[in-house]
Amino acid sequence: MKPLYNPPETDKSKFAHPVEEAFARILDFYGLQWQYEPRTFPLQWDESGNVTEAFTPDFYLPEQDLYIELTTLRPQLSTMKNRKMRRMQELYPDIHLKLFKRREMRDLMVKFGLYDQAEKIQGTEAQEAIA
Amino acid sequence: MSAITVSRQLGSLGFEVAETAADLLGFRLVWRDVINQAGRIAGSPEAALAAIDDLGLLGICPSPEACLAYRQAVQQIMQELADQGNVVIIGRAGQQILSGWPEVLHVRVIAPRTLRIERVAVRQEISKESAFAQVEASDRRRRSYLKRFYNVQWDDPNLYDLVINTAHLTPRAAAQIIARTLFDPLFSSHEPASPRHETPLQSARN
Repeated sequence: MKPLYNPPETDKSKFAHPVEEAFARILDFYGLQWQYEPRTFPLQWDESGNVTEAFTPDFYLPEQDLYIELTTLRPQLSTMKNRKMRRMQELYPDIHLKLFKRREMRDLMVKFGLYDQAEKIQGTEAQEAIA
Repeated sequence: MSAITVSRQLGSLGFEVAETAADLLGFRLVWRDVINQAGRIAGSPEAALAAIDDLGLLGICPSPEACLAYRQAVQQIMQELADQGNVVIIGRAGQQILSGWPEVLHVRVIAPRTLRIERVAVRQEISKESAFAQVEASDRRRRSYLKRFYNVQWDDPNLYDLVINTAHLTPRAAAQIIARTLFDPLFSSHEPASPRHETPLQSARN
């Protein structure tokens, strides 16, 4: 099954959510190459073969060949995402995909002096937006 | 044909020393390549990312099976690099994996903790408290990696042919010491061990 490709150019200033920008800064901190939402994977089709459901992981790390999806800790908000992750694994078993829960990052970002990034992860607005 | 492994502390300028040594000698510098290649060979990019996550910011915890496959791949890659020669390898327990290999110089780059904290604070434009936390976390993770998987103390000078303190040395000066040592006849004559001797990792696998 072939994924759809988004344009390879990434405008780093146009993240969908602040938490994604914060995560990108952590990747920059480690000097990791990354792409923002470079691929969309179809998950479901109608009888005519049209894509009715798709999944676009937030990041792709080309050097590690790893896709990353960021998520909230709220179970009720992550149910749909978990279902899509499972479907992804069924349809694209060779694709490496990792789910990150954002609260794990925040405390450490504060501790290590990445305050700007940590502030962006705080707040209900960001939490709901990323769900 | 020679190789150098460089173990370094965060804030010790170890990367700069390794880079300059590679430049002076015309050697290939290998750092993240080992990690990424091992992740691909092991089919576990997550383990590679965990290895890069020096401060534990990402909180990745790959399965024990993935970790073992990753470490075996690191060992294989590093031994191939040493066979090819003319390479400077940074980190990844090179001093242990290639321990006893002929014509491999094992270098450790250190600096006083207060200086390392200052360097990290200045470079990243962060407070000394945060820099201290980074240095602590980095030391802890690197020390724990060597202890857990190779049962050695990271800062044991017996693991190294050369320990360089950069408190009063520039990276270039340190790199020149490394280059001179590598081609010193006394070093070259060191007793070559079997390159295929069993490491703790291999023992664990058997």
